[in-house]
Amino acid sequence: MRPRLPALAIGVVFGVALSWSGMTSPDVIRGALLFEDSYLFLFFGSAVATASIGLLLLRRAGRVTWTPQRIARRHVTGSLIFGVGWGVADACPGPIMTQIGQGIAWGVPLLAGVLLGVYAFVRRSEETEPARDPAPALARGSSVPGSA
Amino acid sequence: MLHPQLAWYVAGPLLGLCVIAVRLLFNARLGVTGGYSEIVDRVRHRSLVFDWRAWLLFGVLFGGTIFALAAGGPDFHGYGWLTRELDEVLVAPILVLSGGLIGYGAKTAGGCTSGNGLSGTAILSPASLAATATFFGTAIAINFLTRALF
Repeated sequence: MRPRLPALAIGVVFGVALSWSGMTSPDVIRGALLFEDSYLFLFFGSAVATASIGLLLLRRAGRVTWTPQRIARRHVTGSLIFGVGWGVADACPGPIMTQIGQGIAWGVPLLAGVLLGVYAFVRRSEETEPARDPAPALARGSSVPGSA
Repeated sequence: MLHPQLAWYVAGPLLGLCVIAVRLLFNARLGVTGGYSEIVDRVRHRSLVFDWRAWLLFGVLFGGTIFALAAGGPDFHGYGWLTRELDEVLVAPILVLSGGLIGYGAKTAGGCTSGNGLSGTAILSPASLAATATFFGTAIAINFLTRALF
């Protein structure tokens, strides 16, 4: 199956939902994180609940499987770094993309930063783990199982 | 926010259905950071043949555009508290830096608000629960801190 069209379609639904729920706006995110507005938590909670119920039913039906990941140090340190950036910009990777899509100019420096940050991570992991990048063939599909 | 919000009990489940669809179609977590990562990876190796993660990200982009066209414009002007409280000259560098932390941190943690927060939490993955509690806690603390300072 060619994955492009279904992936694009899911992305469009995701992007419209993020925009229509106001998540593109840093003031909405800030209002939620300052506990002035409950929308984000209800929105997020109902999204997790829907996904959770759906995935559990599908797993029971034998349609999908997954392996839960154990906690490692990087999950906490990475999320601390991520949380600082998210807290200052009041935008995370999905909404940064919808900002660009909506034509918001301030999204451009944010996007540039995200790409630089991802690039810096990839470069650093190659330097510290050279053995894991032996051939271009492996590097091309370098998604470690369970990584973003 | 200039446009009315879609009810949370519609918008939330819609997002949840996207997570389910990605698991069914690609047997993977829906993670937006994965799309950025895929693009950086391929472009570095001089390729523009992207996998589904990048196409999902392109979809998110178009979703924003479709919304802005339908709603008659973007959802906000300026950039939140940053352009209200700080000199505009400072805002772009701060956003680049924040973006850098977002990208680097999400890659380190193996996911962002969607990969860990949404998809990982939905399957009760311990790593994702720890990550989600950490980034929510940190972002909440940062917002209270910046409100106190500026």
